[in-house]
Amino acid sequence: MAKQAALAQRSISRSLLLTLPILLWSLLMFSRTMMQSGKAPKIAALITLAFGVVLFFQMMRTLETHRWRRYFFVALGFLFPIGFIWDLVSLRGTMSIPVERMLSGDTPFCFMVIPMVIVPAALTRSIIFPGSILPTASNPHAIATMVALWLAATLIVGKAWCSYGCFFGGIEEGFSAVAKKPVIKKLDTRWRWMPWAVLAAIVLLSLATFEPVYCTWICPFKAITEYPQVRSLETAAQMGIFVTLFAGLVVVLPLLTKKRTQCSFLCPFGAFQSVFNRVGPIDVRIDTAHCVPCNICEKNCPTLSIDNSAVKAGKPMMSCMKCGACVDTCPRDAAVWHIKGTDVGSHSERARLFHLYAVWAFAVMFGGSIIANTLTKLLAMVA
Amino acid sequence: MKKLRSILGHTGAILGLVLAVVSPFLLFGWFQHAIASAGLRIDPEYTGGEIARTIDRGAYRIAVYQPVWRRSPIQRIAPFVQLTWAPAASLPETVSDAVDLDGDGVADIRVTFRPAALAVDVASLNGKYRSVHSQGVTSFSQLIARVNERIVLRLPLD
Repeated sequence: MAKQAALAQRSISRSLLLTLPILLWSLLMFSRTMMQSGKAPKIAALITLAFGVVLFFQMMRTLETHRWRRYFFVALGFLFPIGFIWDLVSLRGTMSIPVERMLSGDTPFCFMVIPMVIVPAALTRSIIFPGSILPTASNPHAIATMVALWLAATLIVGKAWCSYGCFFGGIEEGFSAVAKKPVIKKLDTRWRWMPWAVLAAIVLLSLATFEPVYCTWICPFKAITEYPQVRSLETAAQMGIFVTLFAGLVVVLPLLTKKRTQCSFLCPFGAFQSVFNRVGPIDVRIDTAHCVPCNICEKNCPTLSIDNSAVKAGKPMMSCMKCGACVDTCPRDAAVWHIKGTDVGSHSERARLFHLYAVWAFAVMFGGSIIANTLTKLLAMVA
Repeated sequence: MKKLRSILGHTGAILGLVLAVVSPFLLFGWFQHAIASAGLRIDPEYTGGEIARTIDRGAYRIAVYQPVWRRSPIQRIAPFVQLTWAPAASLPETVSDAVDLDGDGVADIRVTFRPAALAVDVASLNGKYRSVHSQGVTSFSQLIARVNERIVLRLPLD
């Protein structure tokens, strides 16, 4: 790539200096895990800490974002379900959730539910989810905990949640990275509006039926997390939908297209999170004065957030998750990180650093703890 | 103006960093506290709603809940009323209780079940409620289940 050739790598000493705050932050975040009894948590914390710090160092050294971020994100995506299923199976011997657990408020709350519960909660003060408001011994993933986490994440990283925090997206990104070249090259970009349609439909239907319809009928990730116990034709049909959507949108299509198809064509939470995309101080811009256009950014964008109209407008669409793929691959440095209020292209690396420190601090805190927890279980099993 | 916008942009970027740093120590706790104290509750479909009254049977207590009605014409769950027996460990081998559901002082149904089998017979005593034989979980509005230390019974209302 012309850009890589043109870019001088940052010196090792300067890269180390820039990585130091993340090293200290990671030590702080993993200090509690390191103090746990037994070898497994300590080793798991050390591995996760080293993994995150090395990746951040590489981001500083190579001035590339997407490639190194992806390692972390895919690791999070693949380790989360392992740890989650492990917990479910050791707790109740199965991944399915029996009605008894729903009645006792033991269903772990997932951030995907948030768009569906807001309107009914505002109108009736009732949360249409069989969880608990505050954490309990049998359900640490309480509603207040997860919503607070989402609120904090949204303020800090906005839509970058989808490229640093969403463990479901990590699975999809992993599959999209397997093939060298896409088998399906042309995608109808009108499907991009589908997540908005799904979002509108599930918000209205959840209000009308007083149940989280996306979780009940659509969510592909039920196939690898927790699903209602199959005891009727209806629950069997739901299970069939979960598995089909997971196989199609999370595994097969990402393998064939090298795109995050579930995020681009279905995910209502991603659409919901896009609303907050304009809130953050850092965004990605396309410097139209430098742009050819060669459409390399369009080809490399995992979520179809860049097309000709976006290039002309000088910025990606709202669905941009700030992964940095376009910035890293643009041969003319036309795709840049940007601090709002400044001239486009004037402080790109500074903007990237502001963005990376904030999102990596969040990623270490949230994703890092998930990775370390799963590694602890795997290490304990091996030992 | 251009400089002011640039200063504001940089201030926003620094503020983002500050938020990231304080998030696990302050922000997260504040948000959690705010949500917890917002007066929200889990939907009655899952909790069974509010307890209307409790009946003390000596070794155990029966809680009679307020009926849960449909709040929308396309809500799938049928109206139901929930009753619980607790503690489950103190229940006799066969439980047979006459229960006043509507609080008018007159027993409306007789509930008979064996806690070990989780099969229940509900006999209507005055025609206000229908007789039901139920085993395990049929639906959210018709079930008998052991939930922690309670036996939960949900009876569909017509």
